[in-house]
Amino acid sequence: MTVVTSVVAGWRLSLRRLLLSSSVIGPLATWMAIFVLFSVVASNFLSLRTVSGILNAATLTGVVTIGVTLLMISGEFDLSVGSMMAIGGYLFGQQAAKGTPLLGLLLALLIPAVLGALNGLILIATRIPSFIVTLGTRSIYRGLAWIISGGALLQLTEDLPIYEVLNGRLEVVDKLFEGANFRTSVVWLLGLLLLVQYLLIRTDYGNHVFAAGGNRAAAAAQGVNIPRVKLVNFIITGTLAGFAGVLLFSQFKTVRVATGAGTELSAIAAAVVGGALLRGGSGSIWGALVGVLLISTLRTGVILLNIPFIPADNFEAVVGVAIIGAVVFNDWLRRRA
Amino acid sequence: MNQAEHPQDGFVVEMKAISKRFGTITALEGVDFQVPRQQVMALLGDNGAGKSTLIKILTGVHRPTRGEIYFENRQVEIDSPRVARDLGIETVYQDLALVNLMSITRNFFLGRELVRELGPIRWLQLAEMNRLTHSSLVEVGIDIRSPSEPVGSLSGGERQSIAIGRAMHFGAKLLILDEPTSALSVAETRKVLSYIRNAKDRGLSVVFITHNVNHCYEVSDAYTILRHGKIVGTYQRGELSQDDIAALITGEREN
Repeated sequence: MTVVTSVVAGWRLSLRRLLLSSSVIGPLATWMAIFVLFSVVASNFLSLRTVSGILNAATLTGVVTIGVTLLMISGEFDLSVGSMMAIGGYLFGQQAAKGTPLLGLLLALLIPAVLGALNGLILIATRIPSFIVTLGTRSIYRGLAWIISGGALLQLTEDLPIYEVLNGRLEVVDKLFEGANFRTSVVWLLGLLLLVQYLLIRTDYGNHVFAAGGNRAAAAAQGVNIPRVKLVNFIITGTLAGFAGVLLFSQFKTVRVATGAGTELSAIAAAVVGGALLRGGSGSIWGALVGVLLISTLRTGVILLNIPFIPADNFEAVVGVAIIGAVVFNDWLRRRA
Repeated sequence: MNQAEHPQDGFVVEMKAISKRFGTITALEGVDFQVPRQQVMALLGDNGAGKSTLIKILTGVHRPTRGEIYFENRQVEIDSPRVARDLGIETVYQDLALVNLMSITRNFFLGRELVRELGPIRWLQLAEMNRLTHSSLVEVGIDIRSPSEPVGSLSGGERQSIAIGRAMHFGAKLLILDEPTSALSVAETRKVLSYIRNAKDRGLSVVFITHNVNHCYEVSDAYTILRHGKIVGTYQRGELSQDDIAALITGEREN
């Protein structure tokens, strides 16, 4: 009897340690539960085709979410990422049409980086909450996308080799697995994830990011340059949003003024599902990407299930329920730990 | 430096004729404040007396409107918290010392992380940081379970101790404690007071800011009392009773 109790106690202790040490466990458990559930109830769900589809659908939002999560950990929001995504898409597409896609790539990273810096500078200069600042620039940058494009849809037909590198078929993997349909953007996403995760956990800069969001005054008293941290995070977020626009264009060869609209909220939702605190100071890039996967999985699963009243174009309602559910579940797990 | 001009080289810091105005409000008026070397100086005053303003001038948060500051007999311009820190002035604030969501180690080294660089790549030496955090806290008499534990899981006294231990580790010459015991239990207060004695024994000078004389009476060597932005007086230990000091703080007694 005592053996059983102590084993259970030991198990609970190690679970506790695991949950405390890594905020990714909660969201991962939630995601796996949903995945298993769909595998059971939706007959055509468990296939490489579906799995690769879920991943592909998650990568664009995923790239944006990495930046948004980093920014949220430092205590700030960026609602302008969707607009910067459209700008990135246009800048890249327009140069690709002229036969200079590399210049396009450069511009699509550089201009959104500058726009991100502008978000940060407005925040620092005015001390208006970033939620409001970027609510404003969200519309301004959408207007900029309109000016760049003249309001017109940009659609190309010619295939360029650079599209294959940025977001083509991942043939190496696809050939190995029958029915798989992975894209190269998954590799980019993974690389960026590792890079930003490293920055966050293994560098002094990452320490300052957590401190800036966790207790601004304490961090400043220790000599951390809070405005600089926030400015750099806004620049990273802008650059990643521009890159997401490039990936999007490489896949679809199409960009509209409205491209990326709503991504800002999906990214925040994913970050929160992944364990990030809205008030800053806590969060995980891994967790946020699991959050993106979770939302993408739900979307795919719900579409496959073909439930009455919830056809493909009404899955947002389910996603909404899932966001609240996942956060409640995470909270419950953490409290028990 | 002309020693004749500043004969009191027994002071680690001297603030002379400090005035501070915020718009039309005068927060400090001609304040002289000295901290003798390796002593605990209590800075006493009621809420709004100007204690925080005076200390924020010393720590580089505010600039004085008028007045001079001498640190180890050299005149200094403390125009940012970093300058204060580089001089060896470490401050432990009552509630904003640590980031609760971060580990003890990450707090301990916040802003002074141990980093190794190889070209453009840099990384934290986390193992070394953990080791140093643990050993230096043990050295000042603070026992922690694990340096990777989040600060939020510690008690108020433990947090205060870690902030003090951090200041001592990083070679503070002058340790400023802003209301270090006002939120603590009696047992925890006793512990924090023992760290203050420990700091003094290791050669540090300490400024202990409080509005309650009972908190600092045990450890202070001298008292400076502020009222309405002006100095009431500086008194040696034993010169006044606790009741006298309390009366001077509130203004029941003039001096």
